[in-house]
Amino acid sequence: MITYVIRRLVLMVPTLLGITALVFFVMAYSPGGVGGPAMDQQENIKGQEAKRIREYYNRRYGLDKPPIVQYGRWLNQISPVGFVPDEKGELGKFGFKWPNLGESLVRHRPVTQLIAESLPITVLLNAVSIPFVYTIGIVSGILAARFRGKWFDVTTGSLFLSLWSMPTIWVGVMLIGFLANASYLKWFPTAGLHDILADSMPFLPRFTDAGWERGWLLDTMWHLVLPVVCMSYGGFAYLSKLTRGSMLDNLNADFVRTARAKGVSEGTILFRHVFRNSVLALITVAASIVPALLGGSVVIETIFSIPGMGRLSVEAVQYRDRELILATTLIGGMIGLLSDILRDVWYAAADPRVSYE
Amino acid sequence: MENRFGVRDLIVTVLLLALIGSVWLSMKQADRHKEQLDQIQAIVSAQTKDLTRIENQLTQGIVTVGASTQPANSGADRDPFEHVRAAQKQPGYARGDYFVDVFSVVPDKLTPIISSDAYSSMVQAQVLENLCDRDERTLDWKPVLATAWRISADGLRIEFDLRQNVLFSDGEPLTADDFVWTFDWIMNPDVEAPRHRSYFEKVAKVEKLSDKTIVFIFKEPYFDSFSLAASFSPLPKHFYAKRTPTEFNRSTGLLLGTGPYRMPDPESWKPEPGKPIELLRNDRYWGQPAPFDRWVFRVIDNDQARLTTFRNGELDAIYPTAEQYKSMLDDKELLKRTQHFEYDSPTAGYVYVAWNQKREGKPTIFADKRVRQAMTMLIDRNRIVQDVMLGYANVATGPFNPLSKQCDPAIQPWPYDPARAKELLKQAGFEDRDNDGVLESPTKQPLKFKLMYPAKSETYKRVVLFMKDSMATAGVVLEPDPTEWNVLIGRLEKREFDASSLGWTAGLEGDLYQIFHSSQIEGTGDNAISYSNPELDKAIEQARSTVDEATRMPIWRKAHQIMHDDQPYTFMFIRKSMSFIDGRFRNVQQTKLGLNPQLEWWVPAELRRWTKSNTAAPTK
Repeated sequence: MITYVIRRLVLMVPTLLGITALVFFVMAYSPGGVGGPAMDQQENIKGQEAKRIREYYNRRYGLDKPPIVQYGRWLNQISPVGFVPDEKGELGKFGFKWPNLGESLVRHRPVTQLIAESLPITVLLNAVSIPFVYTIGIVSGILAARFRGKWFDVTTGSLFLSLWSMPTIWVGVMLIGFLANASYLKWFPTAGLHDILADSMPFLPRFTDAGWERGWLLDTMWHLVLPVVCMSYGGFAYLSKLTRGSMLDNLNADFVRTARAKGVSEGTILFRHVFRNSVLALITVAASIVPALLGGSVVIETIFSIPGMGRLSVEAVQYRDRELILATTLIGGMIGLLSDILRDVWYAAADPRVSYE
Repeated sequence: MENRFGVRDLIVTVLLLALIGSVWLSMKQADRHKEQLDQIQAIVSAQTKDLTRIENQLTQGIVTVGASTQPANSGADRDPFEHVRAAQKQPGYARGDYFVDVFSVVPDKLTPIISSDAYSSMVQAQVLENLCDRDERTLDWKPVLATAWRISADGLRIEFDLRQNVLFSDGEPLTADDFVWTFDWIMNPDVEAPRHRSYFEKVAKVEKLSDKTIVFIFKEPYFDSFSLAASFSPLPKHFYAKRTPTEFNRSTGLLLGTGPYRMPDPESWKPEPGKPIELLRNDRYWGQPAPFDRWVFRVIDNDQARLTTFRNGELDAIYPTAEQYKSMLDDKELLKRTQHFEYDSPTAGYVYVAWNQKREGKPTIFADKRVRQAMTMLIDRNRIVQDVMLGYANVATGPFNPLSKQCDPAIQPWPYDPARAKELLKQAGFEDRDNDGVLESPTKQPLKFKLMYPAKSETYKRVVLFMKDSMATAGVVLEPDPTEWNVLIGRLEKREFDASSLGWTAGLEGDLYQIFHSSQIEGTGDNAISYSNPELDKAIEQARSTVDEATRMPIWRKAHQIMHDDQPYTFMFIRKSMSFIDGRFRNVQQTKLGLNPQLEWWVPAELRRWTKSNTAAPTK
């Protein structure tokens, strides 16, 4: 098992090299080039000035060099072993160094800083929504399979199907329009993560002479409600259907009939025999959900004005911000490959029949 | 029984996770305490500094009462706070409450010079100050950090007398050295400020003549030199100079100035998604204290969310598009508790269609002036303004804004006149020779061209489709060519297009040199259409080197006439500006530059939304 994992980990390096090289050279040879005009975000800049600014940044980021040299420099930059660059970016002597993801070509800030700002938002949203998605999805799926064809199965079935069909972008705008609008129901805030007065709030909710104070913690949670609802409804609808399907497969299997004939209690059959066998399908889905979740959701982030990883990557592509695109590709690829390995390990853990020896 | 994950294990895991969660939350709380403590400490140390300064002044027997004790030494020295004082005399005037503004993205950096987006400059405009500003009502220059100025006869030296007793918001005084240092800092090649450097490239140096006077020395006479020098904002040397250029380049929120508002912490701001940017009133401001306790910039990206937030009363200003504005005007409830403004701004740019006169070294159909004039007359710009812009725009007559003194008011836009256009095209050799409804040249080439425009823009798309239809009725084939922005710029630079539709932004006084002078055809200059008219070149050169406004303006107007006749571009329209402001603000007025500065607005004490207690600063 351990040798298997190590072999997979080592194989990741050439895969990642391939992915980044592909992204790099497709960008380098695409019409319009890299960074370039997008570096002037202000349109009113006049030609001469714009040209001088572009020349400055081309020199500063080495964009005037041939693409192959640029890619070599980038590899050197992200590698923990290589030529150590000095303050001005000139390469010095060979040795160990900190890997560096470089500086955004458009925002002129270190890529790590930009990711450090966006990642917590995405992680927070997911940390809150994943438990909901899985609890609701699995429990309702099991129940629907158990009471197949009964009212619970039919109602959740049609309800979840309609939920799953509703586009997030429409639901988000509707939620803001009705649940955050003073003309209808002003239950939730429209945008952001904190209230304007959040900095002067106490941490926990409390009652004072002036009345009820919501406090910083509750304020943040209150701001999270609508985005989390938007993020999770599609997920649990899908997961519930999936659980129901694979549970039904196993419920009709021979070993279940045998167990029933032996007089095993219904609860034990359901959870010990059927559910455990149905878990493999859920693991497959979970492994593909993880990288997608960390990639963030540009739709939800934009609707609720909480820019996380999704917005960061999409804007990077829009502005052809090469360093940022490469960094998100690298991280995304790494997480994707790691979750693949994790999935295979989980298979072995969940199913004694699976072995990699 | 094998060892399985049971209910007991589940409970233990959940408890453990809850424990970790609560430890994390308590650390978060400790962090918040520390931030507040830091703020209190900063306030205490600032107050100690103030006390020491007052004590010193008392022992030295110097009395300083505001800034207005300066003797008037030229016509320039007028009260920059005339209208603020007038507002303060209005019945019920009060200071307090917040002003809540809106951005659509968090700016990446607030550090001046190295930040380049429009939002960071909106924040900086409240914290930093210029030597002089344009008076919103007369458009003349009014003194801010300068009290008077002298321009040498050759226009190469501009001297400014500095206002005395101006403090930065940390309590240190503003000196002539700060100006000199700021200029040298901008010109330091290690500082990542190519934009500012190219802006000031015509300035040779900034020198300190005495503690009270500085001089800007220019390399050559330039018509816009006063505006360049006057809009210079000094940075505090004592605050920034202790950092290396690299530290400065990497900073996100080093912002300290003399303006009416200040950052809560001038050193440590960094972009944080979902959190508003806040400015506090600068209590050490030399002029009239700001009317609002705080100026908050919320970040709301989604149009719908922004409108809803404004309707909820949680935003104080919103700048809607034409469609949004129109639908907001239908909402009677909203109109009752808000005020709205629509105005022509002299700094609004124009949308145009550029006709490329040379492609791959050969003249195109648009090299003929008659064809360009015909094209303009085939476009019903009034209807585009009505149908696409819903009436919130004006037809443009040339490259200058009608409110600018450069614009010749006698020039009328070319009319929509397909008959005359066809006549002109016939003179140029284009007629329908095979009766297929399309005009052909004498060599049987159909009159056909591609119009390139930015692919993402809905407005351009609708304008271009409208043009396509009206051209088709006259037998001209227009093929819309939506192009991605980067590719579009590349094609402009290589001159690989027939016609393109884009917009230019404008200043109070525009410079035609970069776009229409024939020297800009070479290389990747902005004269992408290879337009050359020696008469216009001469006028532009003459106007640019004339420092005196009274002799310069007639030359610009002559250039306007030449361009009107030549039609190198079809000048389409100039957008109007629209805004909705919350109803609790008083004294919001329209001026020549848009709305009057927020320093003149105020909120009656009983209508305050965000603060109930009176925390206002005393009137000076």
